[in-house]
Amino acid sequence: MKKYKFSSAALLLLLFLPAISWSQSYQMFYKAAGSPANPGVQASWNKYYTNQGVADLCSKLAKTYPDLVTMETIGKSFQGRDIYLLTITDKKTGIHSQKPGFWIDGNIHSIELQGTEMTLYTAWYLCEMFDENDFIRKLLAEKTFYIAPTINPDGREYFTSSTVPPRSGLAPRDNDRDGLVDEDGTDDLNGDKEISLMRIKSQRGNMKIDPSDPRKMIRVAPDEKGDYELLGYEGFDNDGDGLINEDGPGGYDGNRDWGFNWEPNYVQNGADKYPFSFPENQAVRDFVKNHPNIAASQSFHNSGGMILRGPSIRGGGSEAYSRQDDDVIERIGLTGEKIIPGYKLLTIWKDLYTVWGGELDWMHGNGCFVYSNELWTSYLMFYDSTNTDQYEFDRLLLFDDAFIPWQKAIHPQYGEIEIGGFKKTLGRLHPGFLIETDAHRNAAFCIYNAYEMPLLEVKDITVKNLDGGLKEVSAAIENKRMLPTHSASNLKYRIDPPDYVFLDGGTVLSGMIVDDVLQNRTTEQKKNPGRLEVNNIPGNSQVYVRWIVKGGSKFNVKVESVKGGRASGQSK
Amino acid sequence: MKIPLKIMILSLAAVAYATQISAQNKYRNFTELSRKTESLAKEYPALCSVKSLVKTAGGKDIFVLTIGTGEKDQKPAIAVLGGIEGNYLAGRELALGFAENLLKDSGNPDIKQLLSSITFYVFPDISPDASEQYFTGLKYERVINSRSTDDDRDFVSDEDPYEDLNGDGIITLIRVSDPAGTFIESDDDRRIMVAADLSKGQKGSYFVYSEGIDNDKDGKFNEDGPGGVNPNRNFTCNYEEYGQNSGYHAMSEPETKAVADFLFDHFNIYSTVAFGPQDNLGQPLKASEKQPEFTSFEQGMGRGVGMGMGMTRGAPREPVDRRITAILKKDEIINKLVSDKYHEITGAKGAPSAVQAPGNFMDWAYYHYGRYSFSTPGWWYPVEKGKNSEVAFLSFAEKNRIPDAFVPWTEIKHPDFPSKKTEAGGIKPFIMNNPPADTLGYLISKHYEFITALAAMHPELEFIDTKIENRGDNLFSITLKVHNRGIFATAAEAGSINQWTKIMRMVIEPAKGQTLLSGQKIQRIQRLEGGSTAEFSWLISGKGSVLISAGAINVGTIKTTLELK
Repeated sequence: MKKYKFSSAALLLLLFLPAISWSQSYQMFYKAAGSPANPGVQASWNKYYTNQGVADLCSKLAKTYPDLVTMETIGKSFQGRDIYLLTITDKKTGIHSQKPGFWIDGNIHSIELQGTEMTLYTAWYLCEMFDENDFIRKLLAEKTFYIAPTINPDGREYFTSSTVPPRSGLAPRDNDRDGLVDEDGTDDLNGDKEISLMRIKSQRGNMKIDPSDPRKMIRVAPDEKGDYELLGYEGFDNDGDGLINEDGPGGYDGNRDWGFNWEPNYVQNGADKYPFSFPENQAVRDFVKNHPNIAASQSFHNSGGMILRGPSIRGGGSEAYSRQDDDVIERIGLTGEKIIPGYKLLTIWKDLYTVWGGELDWMHGNGCFVYSNELWTSYLMFYDSTNTDQYEFDRLLLFDDAFIPWQKAIHPQYGEIEIGGFKKTLGRLHPGFLIETDAHRNAAFCIYNAYEMPLLEVKDITVKNLDGGLKEVSAAIENKRMLPTHSASNLKYRIDPPDYVFLDGGTVLSGMIVDDVLQNRTTEQKKNPGRLEVNNIPGNSQVYVRWIVKGGSKFNVKVESVKGGRASGQSK
Repeated sequence: MKIPLKIMILSLAAVAYATQISAQNKYRNFTELSRKTESLAKEYPALCSVKSLVKTAGGKDIFVLTIGTGEKDQKPAIAVLGGIEGNYLAGRELALGFAENLLKDSGNPDIKQLLSSITFYVFPDISPDASEQYFTGLKYERVINSRSTDDDRDFVSDEDPYEDLNGDGIITLIRVSDPAGTFIESDDDRRIMVAADLSKGQKGSYFVYSEGIDNDKDGKFNEDGPGGVNPNRNFTCNYEEYGQNSGYHAMSEPETKAVADFLFDHFNIYSTVAFGPQDNLGQPLKASEKQPEFTSFEQGMGRGVGMGMGMTRGAPREPVDRRITAILKKDEIINKLVSDKYHEITGAKGAPSAVQAPGNFMDWAYYHYGRYSFSTPGWWYPVEKGKNSEVAFLSFAEKNRIPDAFVPWTEIKHPDFPSKKTEAGGIKPFIMNNPPADTLGYLISKHYEFITALAAMHPELEFIDTKIENRGDNLFSITLKVHNRGIFATAAEAGSINQWTKIMRMVIEPAKGQTLLSGQKIQRIQRLEGGSTAEFSWLISGKGSVLISAGAINVGTIKTTLELK
């Protein structure tokens, strides 16, 4: 009886106290390895977030973790929606802009919804694990994440509230060049907020219903007669020009709109007037330009299970690849294949197709190390690359939830037809139960990549007395991670200043870079020797600097690198 | 132009719109040019309107004049642009002078006729920040706008400008006597400095730099003066990422973006005439044997939307390169014809030296905008093949009595060369690219005649061979041809595959009670060369009048009503 009373008091408490203190005191959950047991922000990862949901989750993270997260709007979409950005770093250990930055964006293509969930999960995971995991704590002390969950909120809105969106955003375009914009898109003939397939019973048909699965249409053999014709996506000839669905909403490609290797529409389908034709991409451009500390980046697309790397055109474009950079890109990408089973590291032009004016090349050209992941692969259905049967997957694991049964409808041009097929939620998108797994793996890939951005340390400061009361001060600057402070493109175009190494203490008479420590070969920098200029500090290596100084006893050596962060050390 | 200018004026051939020679005899600064631009709109309110598209970083307006009649933006149009590059000042006068003459002549029946069918958009100056350098302060050939940039990528902006070391108000060259130098005086003209040619046993005795000091002590002279981006390097065609004065990215500048947006938004424009360093009027362009692979509109539908699954690393696929890298064959014919017309009307001989440049306007207007694109400096001097252009210019200047073309070398004190003999001198800025001011009037008139003659070649549709056959039982068949009676095709060949041109449509609208039994209600008309036709036919049941229209905004739409009875 006593025990019962206590429980009812607890139930009362539950009504008034935030869930977090209750679950802490009552141990509702037991921590699983690598995941937060009691997240400060409740989130689940078996559904897709609408724009409202994205905004809500982002602001909750910013509110709950003010020492880690800043939320801002970096611009507006064509239809005037906010493009949100989360800056995540341990604010107590330094300003975000003075640490190497890792950019993540998702959903540039409207139909590639789950890119956003990958970015949101990454943000959420970093915040929730900060207090309970040393690796994450150190990472956020050393690095900054800039996370834009969706850089195409108009497309997201269309997907989550209307039918199947265009690949692009929603600025109207005249795709069939007849002087009218967006006048003949797909039509939701049966009003189910899906655009599925149309079929018609026909004597001339070359398709038939699969005897083993009535949902499935299969092509007839040459010695068979078909009884159905497939008529493409749901829609009719709205403008009476003899073509169906040839000029729907939008009708361009936001990922052919970037400032490197840009080519016009007849070369690169989806290109618009010129690079950065769209406000969404302008917003990203301006943010990245104003945050030159961004040293690496990740974009999320779908589908196919690919970790894509550049170059995107044969032989590469204006951006530069050095052998050293290439080795780093391969190493990180191949580790990615381990982190995300089913995903392959592929080179865009060689293994996929040529892309002119893509975001990846622009980021690369501006000095970043960049990947673009094509999320979701049919391998994930049965963890088997030989069985990629969506119908079986839908039947055994989704219980027919992703299929619209064929139903009769009246088409204004074709007469009586049938409409049916897979919903927009299967094919290119993760089914609910697989979102979290892939989100974690893709987040882990980002975290690994971000970890490998430069980490500088000033070491081995030695002071040697010279004749005439002069001193020789030497130091090593070590980059303890894989990425260099300056990529080949960065060096080619002199995007960032060199890494500056300052000496504080005494009067500097001469400063030099030690080119070869063993042979003691040096190059003197005559101009401004108190601030030595190091063009690049490659990954996992050291550069050596030296000064001839008059006076002083304590010497402080400080390095400032735009993409490599800052470090300093003191002589003994 | 070997013939002295005065003789050429006397030998003027009779041309269609022969008018008085324009009275323009000076280069106008930005204020004067703007005032004239705005006054034209006030003077001819029915024919002409003016609009400022944007302000440059230097706070100057980019003006465009719209000249025409009726629904101006709905008629086939030509865009005329000056100030393509800031040191080609004559182009501004040729562009605005064209507008002035056109409006002045608007009472002339031929011009009246032209303005009833063609609209002109005139941009007097798209590089006003740069061209103003001729009129204010230190005179040097400036091509960049007023956006402050780090031209030499040393992480400091605008830190090494020119300096007028000899106090003459203009920037020429300096030469420094130095046994390690790489320049010598030219044998053809001792005033001109040329690179020493070791293969001829020559050894240099001078270093030559532009006039100024090395302010930032980086060994380079005047490499990062005020301002930053050359609009004529900022267009998308062959754009050079992080190139010399090319901008942060293609179309990054307010003026280039505004000009491009205006042109893109005006689908009625079928041709551009630009005055700048690039030329295809003196010397027409040559087509290449290799013609690019095109995808037709229907084939292209949906391309790039899907994405395969299960891609694998392996042997590279052969990528298709759809870029156009030389003028297409059909367009080559028109370019040659127009170039011949240019020579015939202006009397200009030969061609200016070809100036290739990434991101220039002329190439953009053809390759990326898909229009008939013409460009000329409007004036040049003859240079024999293989000869030094500066030597050629000085001899031309002497023969044509262009005074004071050269600032004689005179010794100066130079802080960077305290112990070496240093002299300032050289050809004056601007005069190699710009004609003497007193010849402007003549050049304006000739270019005005040329542009109106060019406009008269516009594509023009008509219906011919219309046949209605009454087949009894209320059945009628209609056949007709759409004929382009103009010289230009209905679109440049490069434009036929460009998203930013319209495809002609043929629309038949039967009356109430009539049924279309055969033939399409709406269909596309493929590009029509000058003089060529396309045939259409329909089968209709029912009496009454049928409305047929054909065309597109860049060629005009023709209509006819046929009575089926």
